[in-house]
Amino acid sequence: MNRGRELLVGFVILSALAVGVVGTYYLQGTNFGQPQVARDILVRTVGQLNRGNSVKYLGVNIGRIEAFGVIGTAVRVSMLLDEDVVLPGDAAVILGPESMFGDWQAEIVSMAEYPRYEFYQLPVDAPPGVLPGYALPEMSRLTASAEQIADNLAQLSDRLELAFNEETATQLASAISNLEAISLEIRELVVQQAAVATSVSASADAALNEVEEASRVARRSFERIEGILSDSQIDTIVANMRVASAGIQAIATDLSEATGGISGTVDRADSAFARIDRIAARIEDGEGAVGRLLSDSTLAIRAEDVLDQLALLLKDVRENPRRYVRLSIF
Amino acid sequence: MLSILRPVAALGRFVLATVASVGRAGYLARDAAHAVKKVSLWGPHLLPQMMRVGVESVPVALFIATFTGVVLALQASYTFTGAMPLYLVGTLVGKTMLLELGPVLTGLALSGRVGANIAAEIGTMRVTEQIDALETLAYDPVAYLVVPRVVAGAIMFPIIVVLADALGIAAGWVTAQALLDMSSFEFVKGLQFLFDPFDLQFSIIKSISFGLTVTSLGCFFGFHTTGGAAGVGRATTQTVVVSSMVILLLDAFWGVILL
Repeated sequence: MNRGRELLVGFVILSALAVGVVGTYYLQGTNFGQPQVARDILVRTVGQLNRGNSVKYLGVNIGRIEAFGVIGTAVRVSMLLDEDVVLPGDAAVILGPESMFGDWQAEIVSMAEYPRYEFYQLPVDAPPGVLPGYALPEMSRLTASAEQIADNLAQLSDRLELAFNEETATQLASAISNLEAISLEIRELVVQQAAVATSVSASADAALNEVEEASRVARRSFERIEGILSDSQIDTIVANMRVASAGIQAIATDLSEATGGISGTVDRADSAFARIDRIAARIEDGEGAVGRLLSDSTLAIRAEDVLDQLALLLKDVRENPRRYVRLSIF
Repeated sequence: MLSILRPVAALGRFVLATVASVGRAGYLARDAAHAVKKVSLWGPHLLPQMMRVGVESVPVALFIATFTGVVLALQASYTFTGAMPLYLVGTLVGKTMLLELGPVLTGLALSGRVGANIAAEIGTMRVTEQIDALETLAYDPVAYLVVPRVVAGAIMFPIIVVLADALGIAAGWVTAQALLDMSSFEFVKGLQFLFDPFDLQFSIIKSISFGLTVTSLGCFFGFHTTGGAAGVGRATTQTVVVSSMVILLLDAFWGVILL
C-alpha cells in the first residue's frame, strides 16, 4: 500500500513536470527531433524582436530567435533554423511586426527583392553565413513621426488662421458666388449638350440599325455566295459564260462585216452632203433664182404681190368665168 | 455601557482579535520554521500528506479546469466572432488558464477541500486534546502536524495547477474543434501566439503561495480551535473563508509584483 502511494505521488509529480516542460517547449514552437542549424544576423537595431520570436522564410516558420549580442554599433541576432531549408544566395533578414498585436518576427528574404531597404553592410571579415538585416521602423518611431507631422500641421493651421482675415472671407464669399454662377451656366450647357447628345445618340442608333441591317444583308449575300461556291452552280455559270462569250464573239464578227458595207454608204452620203453643202453655199451667196429670192427681199415682196394678184385673178376667174372664157358653138 | 459606545467597543474587539490572531499566526510560523529542521519527525508524514493534499485533489482540480477551458473557448469565440481573428480564442484560453484561472480556481477549490480538511482534522485533535497528548509525549505538534501538511501543500499545489492548466487548455482546444468553426492549426497558432514561458512560471509561483496559504491557514485555525465540535465547524468555515480571501489578495499581489 505504501509503495502504491509512493508510485502514485511520483507519477503525478512526473506527469506534471513532463506536461510543464513539454508544453512550454511546444508552445514556444520548438520542433522536436528536427535538426537545426545556427545562423546569425547583423543589424543596426532589433526593434521589438525578442527571444523566441519566429523566423520565417516564404511565410513558413522555419526557426526562432535564440539570442542577442551587441557588437560595436551593430546587433548580432542568433537564430536556430531548420537544417533542411535552403536559403537564397543573397539572403537577408527583415525584422518587423508579425501582427498588429506588437509581436515581431524575422523574415528571411532575397535582398534583390527589396532594393529600397538599407540592409546592414556586412564587414569584409564577417564570418560566412552571417546575414545582413534591416529592422522596419517600429510603432514608437512612427508615432514620433506622426507627432512631428502633427506639429507641422498645427503651425500650418496657425499661419492659415493669420492669413484668413475678413477681407479673405469676403473674397472667398465672392469667389463662391462666382462659382455658383459658373456652375449654373455649366448646368445649362450640360443640359443642352445632353439634348444634342440624345439626338446624336438617336441618329447613331438609327445608323447602327441600318448598319445592322446592311450587315445582315451582307451576311445573307455572303451566305448565298458561300452556298454557290460550295454548290456545283458555279461550274454551270462558268460554262454558260463560255457559251455566251462565243456568241458575243460571233456577233462581233458579223458587226465587223456589216461595218464594211456601212463604210461605203457613209462615203456616198458624205459625197451627197458635200454637194448639198456646195448648193447651199451658192444659195447663200445669192446665186440662182433661189439665191436671189433669199438674198433680195424686194424680189420676195414682188413675188408675194404677184402671188396675191394671181390669187385674186384665180378668185375672179372662179366667180366670173364668162369674163375670160367665151364658148360659142355656133 | 452607553449604547452609543457599543459599536466602538465592537470595533476595538475586532481589531484586538485580529491582531491576536496575527500574533498567534506569527508564533505558529516561527514554530513551523524551527520545526522544519526536524525532518525525522515530519519526513515520514510527508508522503501521506502529499497523497491527501495533492493526488486526491487532482480529480477535483481537473474537473474544474476542464469545464473552465470549455467555457473560456465558447465565451472567447462568442466575443471575438466578426470582430477579431478567431485564432485569438487559443491565445485567450492559454493566457487566461495559465495566468489566472488555472491557479486561482484550483486554489479556491482546494481551499475548500484541503484547507477545510486540515482545519477539521487538527481542530478535532485540538478539542479532543490529542495535540496536548503529543506535547505531553514530547512530540513537537507543529513538526508532527503542521510542517508535513504545509510542505505537501507547497509541493503539490503547483503540480495540480500545472495539470489543471494543461487540461483546461486541452479542453479549450477540443471545444474549439468540436463546437466552434476552428481548426486545430488555428487554435495552436493562437496558443503559441504571445506565449511566454514566464506565464507558466507565474502560474507556478502563484500556486506555491496558494498552497502555503491554504495549508497554513487550515493548520492555524485547526490548531487554535476551541469550543468542541461547534468550534471545529467554525474553524473549518473560517479556514475556507479566509483562505479564499487571501488567495484573491495574493492573486492581486502577484499581479502587481510580477506583471
